[in-house]
Amino acid sequence: MATYSNQHWLLSHIRNSFISTDDTGICETVMLSDDMPKQYLRKFQAAANAQAAQGTTQDGYRRAQQRHQQQQQRRSTDTASSLPSQHVPPRIADAPFHDVDFVCYPGLDLSDDEDLDTSTHSFDIQMYPEVGAHRFRSNTAQKLEKLDIAKRKAARIKSVNYNEEAQPPQRQDFFKRKQLPSKPAKQATTEPAEQQQSKLTAQLARSPQQTQNRFMEYARFDGTAQVGMPTKRINVYVNMLPEPERNYPLKICVLSTAKIIEVIGLVCYKASLQHPDVLQLKSVQHYALYMTEDNDDMDDFPPLDNREPCSKFGFSHLTLAERRPLAPVTRIDYHTQPGTKSMTSEEEDKGALADAAVQALQHISLNGDVPDSAASDQLDQVKAYEQSLLNHSDMMEAPISASYRLSLIDKRFFKCDVNLVVCWERIEIDQLKNVKFWTQKKFVSTPIEFVAYCEIVEQKQLKALMRIWLKAKSNSGLATSCTSAPMDASSMTLNTSSASPSSPPFGGSPFGLFGGQTIRFKHYDFDTDVHTAEKICRKLNCILVMRASELRKEFLRLRQRQTSVTSAGSSAKKQLKL
Amino acid sequence: MRFVETSQVNALDRTPDKTRLAACGYQCIRLYDLESNCTAPIINFDGVQKNVTRLGFQEDGNWMYTAGEDHRVRIWDMISAPPHCSRVFDCQAPVNAACLHPNQVEIAMGSQNGGVYLWDVKSEVHEQLLPEVDASIQDVAISPDGHYMAAGNNKGNCYIWELSSSPNQHLSTITARVKIPAHNRAILRCKFSPDSRMLVTTSGDGTACIWKIEDFSKWCELVIKGYWVWDAAFSADSKWLFTASSDGIARLWNLKTETKKSIRDYTGHTKAITALSFKDEIVPD
Repeated sequence: MATYSNQHWLLSHIRNSFISTDDTGICETVMLSDDMPKQYLRKFQAAANAQAAQGTTQDGYRRAQQRHQQQQQRRSTDTASSLPSQHVPPRIADAPFHDVDFVCYPGLDLSDDEDLDTSTHSFDIQMYPEVGAHRFRSNTAQKLEKLDIAKRKAARIKSVNYNEEAQPPQRQDFFKRKQLPSKPAKQATTEPAEQQQSKLTAQLARSPQQTQNRFMEYARFDGTAQVGMPTKRINVYVNMLPEPERNYPLKICVLSTAKIIEVIGLVCYKASLQHPDVLQLKSVQHYALYMTEDNDDMDDFPPLDNREPCSKFGFSHLTLAERRPLAPVTRIDYHTQPGTKSMTSEEEDKGALADAAVQALQHISLNGDVPDSAASDQLDQVKAYEQSLLNHSDMMEAPISASYRLSLIDKRFFKCDVNLVVCWERIEIDQLKNVKFWTQKKFVSTPIEFVAYCEIVEQKQLKALMRIWLKAKSNSGLATSCTSAPMDASSMTLNTSSASPSSPPFGGSPFGLFGGQTIRFKHYDFDTDVHTAEKICRKLNCILVMRASELRKEFLRLRQRQTSVTSAGSSAKKQLKL
Repeated sequence: MRFVETSQVNALDRTPDKTRLAACGYQCIRLYDLESNCTAPIINFDGVQKNVTRLGFQEDGNWMYTAGEDHRVRIWDMISAPPHCSRVFDCQAPVNAACLHPNQVEIAMGSQNGGVYLWDVKSEVHEQLLPEVDASIQDVAISPDGHYMAAGNNKGNCYIWELSSSPNQHLSTITARVKIPAHNRAILRCKFSPDSRMLVTTSGDGTACIWKIEDFSKWCELVIKGYWVWDAAFSADSKWLFTASSDGIARLWNLKTETKKSIRDYTGHTKAITALSFKDEIVPD
């Protein structure tokens, strides 16, 4: 508001507008030399400084305003008396410097640098260095234009009121009864009809029997045929094409809702139409879409997930290539287990599953891991290979801390929810909720050196009883003295746990000799689902193996001896029981 | 071309000169220009309150009829610059189907309360039939030779009447001929072949059945398992049949071969096809 009545601001604005809207740049060259607003600014500042030097307490701007008001009053009285032509508004700019005296716009003196000073610029005009002098239209302008287009479109559509009153036709012959040929004899109709031929029949006769494109079902994901549906344009390099064609991407327009597998199908469809002779395509499951630079270099990333909608990805360039045999790690995992959900999309038929398995097997035999043998053997070997791969991934993840929620079984009766953290250095048990019976429970942290083994003791349909064996710190046999495990209720020496059939007794004098002293093992029992139990067991044991834990070896050695002894003297009295 | 977001297309018809396509649906009647690339309609009907179920053109394109669930069948004068309504018929119940008699002045209609009407547009006389109570008529058809009228209802039954007329007679005389228990589920369309020797009924049970008019026996059954067959159209020589079904595929069937398998599938639709319009011609020898 104030700005539009401020001459200085207006001057600056006009100048900037000229410069910014002129595409040729001539305005700027011409106006570069005499930057009037700047010169006024300097003059104004000089005046303000001079006044400040006089020692008044008011700030420069307000003083200037007052001075300006005074001057205006003086000028109005002057105008009345002197020649009016000198003060006609349009000629103000032409007037000599010293004659023009007005308040400088306050923001302008903030910065001497014109380019940094945004206050002199109009907010509607913004310079974008990357688009040169072109300026974007505001949202309002775009909206208005859209409305305008819609209006113009609507103007072309003739509108008819559906509910209007019926007006009988003016012309008498508007409704004209057509005379139909009288009913011919039935026999007569049979013959001529056979000879008649329609345009469709003629057309079909001309076009030979087409072999149906195998990827026809994916044709419906072509976005070019759809109106009003969100589509996506992707350039796809088809890796299977010979050299010259391979370097040029296939431009496809696909519905945003299509899954990646359907995009692959559409690319196959388009490619088979464009290059019917060179391409011998297999089923869609053989191919995958890989991320690509626009220079058609395939990135070393895994392919896009077949199940995801293509709208999820923002790639402009992709490469269709044969699925790399790197994938089987996860593929066999899913495909060899019937009943689990397929890794790839549901559209996969059994043949494709078999294909994938065979491909995976071929890969394995190429690696020399698995010799070629009967199919049933192969399946086992695949599982073994898978197991080794899984172990490998476990080992990779071993140092990573993992936390699980499960229930700790206390005195084989009470349960409380705890958080179990397994990491490279220690295991931690933290009670989640405070139950009134166990207010004394504290956070337990046991160094991994004291962890001996982890096993699933009991497995039901869904639930599993998991046991973590620890070395009891003291050899006194009294669990209560164990400082590292204040949850004494659940910590037991092996002697007491021997009642459980699946956990044979350890420790004590006959076996528990380790480094000249008896090792006592205690354990924590957890109740959780099978899957979590298996995960924890795998992880914890993997850590122990990787750390080459002596304790674990000792534990297993003891157990080995224990089982051999019990099996030898099965009916003998249980002398092991201490 | 995009009809409207909110509705399926209930019926399609083209003007006899094949320059315009008319489509109707819920609260919508639109005419499109087929000669330009413009996908916007050229004529739009405003103020449509209910579902519009059928439309069709008179053979010279002079007028168009529309049938709607507002109980009314309207005749639109298409010669006048903005089309205007020149006749209205009130069926007292939502109209599901309408069909023009080849004599170009009579319109057969089927309503949701089970009534079948034959209305002479010129003299505005009409006759009402009620073939089955508690059943909704889903479609009506009149054979191209003008001798038969068929109506299919939501119980899967198809009724056939014989029409006869003499000169100077306003409305054809209707004689009931036969009731065919055609389908287990609702009939969606019935149509006579151009040679008037076959009748096709399409149904929600995933089949389209072709009936011989000679003896009203089933001639063949085309199966699109698990999908509704919404519409069908014969070629001009009655040798081919197109079907539109809810699996989004339009199929072409050869009716002259023994094995009834579709010979061409027209894929491309992402949703169910609910109506089709096919205009074929006889090639002059």
